[in-house]
Amino acid sequence: MASTNKVLMTYLFCMALAALPMLLLADDAHWLNILAFTYLMGGLAAAWNIIGGFGGQFSLGHGVFFAIGAYLTAQGVIRFGWSPWLTMWPIAAVAALVAVLISWPTFRLRGPFFAIATLAFNEVAFVLANHFDSFTGGPRGLMIPFKAGFAQMIFRDRWQYALLMFAFVALVVGISVWLRRSRLGYYLLAVREDEDAARASGINVLSVKLRGMAISAFLTAMGGTLFTMYLRFIDPPTLFTLPEVGVKFALLALIGGIGTIAGPLLGAALIVPFENTLRAEMANALPGLNLAVLGLLMVLAALFMKRGIVGAFEDARKRWLGQKGDMP
Amino acid sequence: MSDLINVLVFGLLLGGIYGLVSIGLNLIFGVVRIVNFAQGELVMLGMYGSYYAYTQYGLSPYVSVFLVAPAVGLLGMAIQRLVIQPLHNESNMQIFATFGLLMMFENIMLMISRGEAKSIGGDVGAEVVTLGDMKFSLVRVVTLVAVTLITIGLHFFLSRTMMGKAIRAVTQDKRAARTMGIHVERTYLFTFGIGAALAGMAGAMLTPIYSITPTVGGNFILAAFAVVVLGGLGSVWGAYWGGLIVGVVEALAGFYIDPVLRSAIWFLIFLVVLVVKPAGLLGQVGAEEVGFREQH
Amino acid sequence: MFNIKRRTCAAWAIAAALTASPVWAQQTLKIGAINPYSGPMALYGNEVTRGYELAVDQVNAAGGLLGRKVELVRGDASTPQQGIAMVEQLVSRDKVDLFMGTYLSGISLTASDTALRYNKIYWETNALAQSLIDRGLPNFFRSGPDGGTFAATSVATVRNLVAPAMKKEIKDLKIWLEHEDSIYGTSIAEAQKRQLEALGAKVVGVGAHSARTIDLNDTVLRAKQAAPDILINTGYVPDGNLLLRTARDQGFKPAAIILVGTGDTPETLQALGAASLEGILVVGYPRNDITEAYGPGNKAYLAAYRAKYKSDPVAPQGMTAYSGVQMLFEAIRQAGSVDPEKVRAAVAKLDKPENSYASGYGAKFDKNMQNVRAWVTTSQWQGGKMVTVYPNNAVLPGIKLGKLARP
Repeated sequence: MASTNKVLMTYLFCMALAALPMLLLADDAHWLNILAFTYLMGGLAAAWNIIGGFGGQFSLGHGVFFAIGAYLTAQGVIRFGWSPWLTMWPIAAVAALVAVLISWPTFRLRGPFFAIATLAFNEVAFVLANHFDSFTGGPRGLMIPFKAGFAQMIFRDRWQYALLMFAFVALVVGISVWLRRSRLGYYLLAVREDEDAARASGINVLSVKLRGMAISAFLTAMGGTLFTMYLRFIDPPTLFTLPEVGVKFALLALIGGIGTIAGPLLGAALIVPFENTLRAEMANALPGLNLAVLGLLMVLAALFMKRGIVGAFEDARKRWLGQKGDMP
Repeated sequence: MSDLINVLVFGLLLGGIYGLVSIGLNLIFGVVRIVNFAQGELVMLGMYGSYYAYTQYGLSPYVSVFLVAPAVGLLGMAIQRLVIQPLHNESNMQIFATFGLLMMFENIMLMISRGEAKSIGGDVGAEVVTLGDMKFSLVRVVTLVAVTLITIGLHFFLSRTMMGKAIRAVTQDKRAARTMGIHVERTYLFTFGIGAALAGMAGAMLTPIYSITPTVGGNFILAAFAVVVLGGLGSVWGAYWGGLIVGVVEALAGFYIDPVLRSAIWFLIFLVVLVVKPAGLLGQVGAEEVGFREQH
Repeated sequence: MFNIKRRTCAAWAIAAALTASPVWAQQTLKIGAINPYSGPMALYGNEVTRGYELAVDQVNAAGGLLGRKVELVRGDASTPQQGIAMVEQLVSRDKVDLFMGTYLSGISLTASDTALRYNKIYWETNALAQSLIDRGLPNFFRSGPDGGTFAATSVATVRNLVAPAMKKEIKDLKIWLEHEDSIYGTSIAEAQKRQLEALGAKVVGVGAHSARTIDLNDTVLRAKQAAPDILINTGYVPDGNLLLRTARDQGFKPAAIILVGTGDTPETLQALGAASLEGILVVGYPRNDITEAYGPGNKAYLAAYRAKYKSDPVAPQGMTAYSGVQMLFEAIRQAGSVDPEKVRAAVAKLDKPENSYASGYGAKFDKNMQNVRAWVTTSQWQGGKMVTVYPNNAVLPGIKLGKLARP
């Protein structure tokens, strides 16, 4: 097992690398916006990866936790003027609690069944969000007026948001690194590989899954807070549309390399700027061309990068080393 | 009292629609074990196919279904062979790929149709069946009858024919089936083809009811998954009864409680059932786990 | 030495100023059009933009705006986040001077907010949400009607068309309000309920449904049992079609049916057929069959549309967009610039009486920059055609209100 120092160095180096675009694009608001979004989605994918990748529990309902973070933060700001920096933490804890409560009964389901059950949660939450409009603003949504200030987590310049989102993804990836090397991390991997064997060797499978889910939901809700303070407008379609939110977290982790540390951020770095570019280039052409192309590329990516970007790198490296013939 | 009967019948008719859309998915999900996000798109393609057959050639959907269903079935086989099969060890990537297919199909149809809602309309599909002072759309009654017949047919297919038995064997235990000499990949191919053809058939039969847009498939997919899981994996009758139950519950909830909360209510019930009996109502206990971890 | 340097500098400065002016005059004026161009709303996003394009063609043919040629650049946005990204991109990559939009309110919210950071105008031609105006953004203007206008016209239709035709007082009428459950349908239905009850009518029920629903039988049964005189539905095309079909199947035949917002396109005609649609009223954006007196230039718009796009207009949203853009161009001309502050001052001074534009609008903006002279019309399906029947001065000669409902 790699020494703590080596891991720390690798982490810092990779994070520095990830921060590089921020410095290079420092005065291009357009790319900074895309970069900020990339970091945010990368962090959310990495948060999903904790339970979906490490734990092997393919949840498609993370939109629920995202929305909890979003709505509670928005209400805290609008009604009470509370700073999101402070409310972020208890709100995330609430999301973690909700996650534990709804996952407890559903964790007895495996694989695709679990996934479909989590889809059902997303659906129910969407209907409830529309219905309880005194809290969520219903279909009208909630809007936070622009009032720049560090305490309010509202910034005038895009690079400040990019930095904020970068801090988020650095945090989540850091937690992933730590988790992977911790006992809980190993238990999660064991459960993913073979749940029955894990149980047979004395692991409390349900407890492991719940703890992983709680951490994942906590971080996802934090992402919801940041998203809300960035857009300053949330409504049920924005928070619960599966291809944009709940399913997207999973997709980004998948294409990057599910269960790896770098995968989620790499997946986000590939997909988010790319879909923006596609939309920009093809907006004037046939409606839907950009998304059809994106869909085709997704299928091709799945076929040719079966284990995601990280897997493709590893394969390439093995082949290169194998050809050179000097590594055992 | 007559209200209750009225709503119950509406529920059964709606359940027929759910069953029709889910029956193909049940087969694919049960055998190939993938969350096929593109299933709703196959229904959508069936709808567009029978719409064009109607407007270009004047064929009624009940006739063009015999053309549309096999066409969609062939597409399904192509998907299985070209996309699903190569990813047979990476079930998560399969999900990713089916999602890409969903985006492709939806947006290709958007490029072709520019998003205008199309309908086989006018007075086709306006006939009603009258029972006392209750009135029901004939098309929906036909749909319910059709799905019943299809289910019976499928049941016989699965229990009496060689291919049907092969499918059931693969559903229960892929490895054992292989050792028994069953060509698993060919079974998958066939199953996907039938499942897709059933989706195309559903699309054709639903064309007189709905306005067709590129995103119409998405309206059905979530409910279809829930029905399949609720009914029990690998059980043809499970999908059928699951669809009817969901339809009735939804209609009752919509009428007596609130139409807006309708889907939330039956999703909650779905979750409750799943927690109590994960194999689904008619599934064999343990079926939800068998064959799932066998990808290695 | 110092003197020579100063003179040289001065000479350079004068030379630069002289060469700069003609360059500026030749630079095109770029306008970013933010709309959904992909996804389920693509058809309407595109239609609205066609209205923009026709207005741009017209102004270019007359010598441009402020001496510059106008060019439209599209920015595709289907969600609020994409709205932000598109504005950023159009500013930095395409260097647009101002923005217009938008078929969906949520996108308009975030896009106009982002445009403010660059101090660029956001001219809203179509989106309906009240919150867009209530924000009081200094760069935001709305030329088209808001949701309240749709509600007001549907209520006026009940009062001035339906009640007399049914020979009843409005306070004796029973009404069922149905709507789709996003902000569009919900906000209009709320306003309808308020206004109807203020007039003494009885709202016997309000029903909400998802625009993507696959079954409306329970909804229709509930409505049927309340036995309303009038059914009013505010929604989109697929759910509106399903509602009408379901009502037909169940034999639900209120004395009058009013559709609000949609239901006036061939999509609905194809779904229901002329016979089933006969008599149904639709409250929507002004169409092309209004009188020239009501909407001067609406025939010219139709001709230009047909010439450029080789088809008939898909939906009336386009003409509203076209008229709205004309107001914008007028304001820019008055202001002599595209600076939001100057344009705002010019917009505040605009005072065109009603029936000045092709869509029948006037131009008078309140303190929040909402055009208060933007109205919608009511049409009726007659013999498979959409015919404008209200307000009276929009109705073509010889057109009368037909029977309100199927026998």
